[in-house]
Amino acid sequence: MASHYDIAVDQGLVREAAWRHRRMAIRMLVMAGFAIVLWLSATRIHLSLTNIILGVPNMADFFGRMVPPDFSNLMSLVAPTVETVQIAAWGTVIAVIASAPLALLAAQNTAPHPSIYFVTRLFLNLLRSINELIYALLLVSAVGLGPFPGVLAIALHATGMLAKFVAEEIEHVNRGPVEALQAAGAGRIQIILFGIMPQVLPAVVGYILYRFDVSIRSATVLGLVGAGGLGFTLITSMKMFKYHETATCILVIILLIWAADAISSHMQKKLL
Amino acid sequence: MNMNVSTTNPVISGASAEKSPIVSLVNVSKTYIRGKLVALTDVSFDIGHGEFVVILGPSGAGKSTMLRCINRLAEPTSGQIFLRGNEITSTPRSLRKARQEIGMVFQQFNLVTRLSVIMNVLSGRLSYRSTWRSLFYSFTREDRAIALECLEMVALGHKAFQRADTLSGGEQQRVAIARALAQRPKLILADEPVASLDPKIARQVLDYLKDVSQRLGISVVCNLHQIDFAREYAERIIGLSQGRLIFDGPPSALTDDILNQIYGSRMESAVG
Amino acid sequence: MRRLISPAAAQPRLSLGGRAKFIFYMAGGAAFLAWSANALELSGGELFHSLPVIGRYIVRMIPPDWTALDGLWGPTLDTICIALWGTVIASAIGFPLGILAAKNLNGSRVLRSSALAILNVLRSISELIWAIFFVSAVGLGPFPGALALGVNFGGILGRLYAEAIENVDPKPLEALRATGASRVQTILFAVLPQVLPQIVSYNLYWFEVGVRSATVLGMIGAGGIGFELVTTIRLYDFRQTSAILLVILGLVTLIDQASALLRGSIVK
Repeated sequence: MASHYDIAVDQGLVREAAWRHRRMAIRMLVMAGFAIVLWLSATRIHLSLTNIILGVPNMADFFGRMVPPDFSNLMSLVAPTVETVQIAAWGTVIAVIASAPLALLAAQNTAPHPSIYFVTRLFLNLLRSINELIYALLLVSAVGLGPFPGVLAIALHATGMLAKFVAEEIEHVNRGPVEALQAAGAGRIQIILFGIMPQVLPAVVGYILYRFDVSIRSATVLGLVGAGGLGFTLITSMKMFKYHETATCILVIILLIWAADAISSHMQKKLL
Repeated sequence: MNMNVSTTNPVISGASAEKSPIVSLVNVSKTYIRGKLVALTDVSFDIGHGEFVVILGPSGAGKSTMLRCINRLAEPTSGQIFLRGNEITSTPRSLRKARQEIGMVFQQFNLVTRLSVIMNVLSGRLSYRSTWRSLFYSFTREDRAIALECLEMVALGHKAFQRADTLSGGEQQRVAIARALAQRPKLILADEPVASLDPKIARQVLDYLKDVSQRLGISVVCNLHQIDFAREYAERIIGLSQGRLIFDGPPSALTDDILNQIYGSRMESAVG
Repeated sequence: MRRLISPAAAQPRLSLGGRAKFIFYMAGGAAFLAWSANALELSGGELFHSLPVIGRYIVRMIPPDWTALDGLWGPTLDTICIALWGTVIASAIGFPLGILAAKNLNGSRVLRSSALAILNVLRSISELIWAIFFVSAVGLGPFPGALALGVNFGGILGRLYAEAIENVDPKPLEALRATGASRVQTILFAVLPQVLPQIVSYNLYWFEVGVRSATVLGMIGAGGIGFELVTTIRLYDFRQTSAILLVILGLVTLIDQASALLRGSIVK
């Protein structure tokens, strides 16, 4: 090899070593920090591989009681399944209706006043941070058992998520068309309808489909606290120790979620 | 390094005056969709040591396909390819060995843009390292010296530790050349290496390629569609048209008549 | 993940047939909703009547009784740890399965379909059901909670990883194969550098979701704030309920901000 590179190469090797060691040092530090945090949490929650291994016979027992699934009452699961989808559907619809004004209030460029923006954001954070199940628990306590509290529970949480998403989309909108409309003398509502909405619509519709999918998943468990749907059938069969029916229920849930996912992503792709 | 002595006969392939050829293609054909789309028909030629050969032809002539057949990124439908006398088959062992000796430069550089320049060049050394070692992203001192040397050869040693996407197009292609050189190849395949670059930068890159080929005795097979570049840099030109080899000889033997045969009605696209 | 769309491009271009289909779907959807409302006994009236009941409940929650915070520190920390380890376990499960499920890395159709199937099963079973399962296996406490979260999120993350891997720029992969690098080396040097920022982003996002999910795992004894919360509801101690809910709000908001900050700095 040509020898007049040797000096440059030697210098390069020194620089490279320094560069590599510096990068390694930073990475090691970060990883060490992370490892310490993980270690502390592991001891706190009593993470233990041995316990998992010791628990295998229990898991096997669990499975044993569930397999083979009892398919004889499959038809009776149709109604709860439909109910689950209905709960998710109406929960999402109410969320969409409620999110529209809330999103506008929660976006910096469409909020009438900064204080309204802050309050709305805080309110939406409150809605988001509380799990549907907690809502369901409280609502069941208030209005009684059945699918109605389930619908409200899903609606409340979904409103928080949806409104925040739409608000962020509104904030990231392209200013150009908005300014053009302002220059043309359009009113506030018109600017929103013709300048902002068309831009955010595709992403928002996609997100609504995603939320519907997530809502179906949540709706399947709301029954655990009595808010209707497949979850109720599941917990009932468990309380009655009919584990073979529980297995069937779980399989139906898997199928439902899988179908919802397939349809949801299919429609989202068609949107693009 | 001896230069090849090309014959005055423009049709017969110019065999190297030295020893056996680096690469031989024998009756290589490639068709797609069960014979309905013909990419290559009966292409045969030899490439000698240290030869700088340009494959000239319009887009769609099969240049890219032919190049990819050599290092088996594409599988020829029939025919054989020999590297230093040994046939290249698709067994993993044979393939890995063959590819180790063949470097490739792509039209769009094909660098890992998030990685540093030196990491990109080092990845050319991967075929020499075991998978275990690579799990730790670790290379030997020899590897690093080779990588730095290759970068010096394309005058980019000073940018070794920058992220690849901070470099200009021409610089990125030079890094790609350095990566190919790091393999210590016997042959470099260049698939339209300058098609994405403006003419001045393109000449720079081709200068580096030619320089490296002459100094290190590496054979280069370079696909180009620009006639003037071909004339400037090639020691030997192979003309491809619609999958057939219709010319093989020095640039001096490239008459307008032959050019018309190669390009047909698409002459305009070939000039510059 | 942001796309800037011009208003012109945002208008769906629908042919006559497309428009007919759109109306058909809308009509079908509306019909379904109407039927559902009837079946679920939803109606404006029902909502109207229940509002005062809910209103009364809300009144009973104000003002929050901050004594609920005594002894809440432990369960709150537990919740965070459950989410943390849940995400770690999820990545550990999701990463290998995601690689197996990716179309551009794995030639074997059987292997891909099996990996995808496993991931689907994992994510379709709610973390609550998983938690019940793991409680029966290893007992009560936060440990089964972390396992449940890890398994459920593992399915979700695995799918996301597979998608991210499939969307990778294939050109560097081709280049590396051409140098003679092995399949594993190609993944390490061409795929991983490209997907790493996304992976980190996904992990941060799902950690945040995990914190919210972990708050309810306590309901079935799988540790965290959930147990305290449910207790206050069962005892009708609604002022304490609201206090705990506000703590959850604070926790989630904090983590949300931190996560957004970290994700912002990763996008380089």
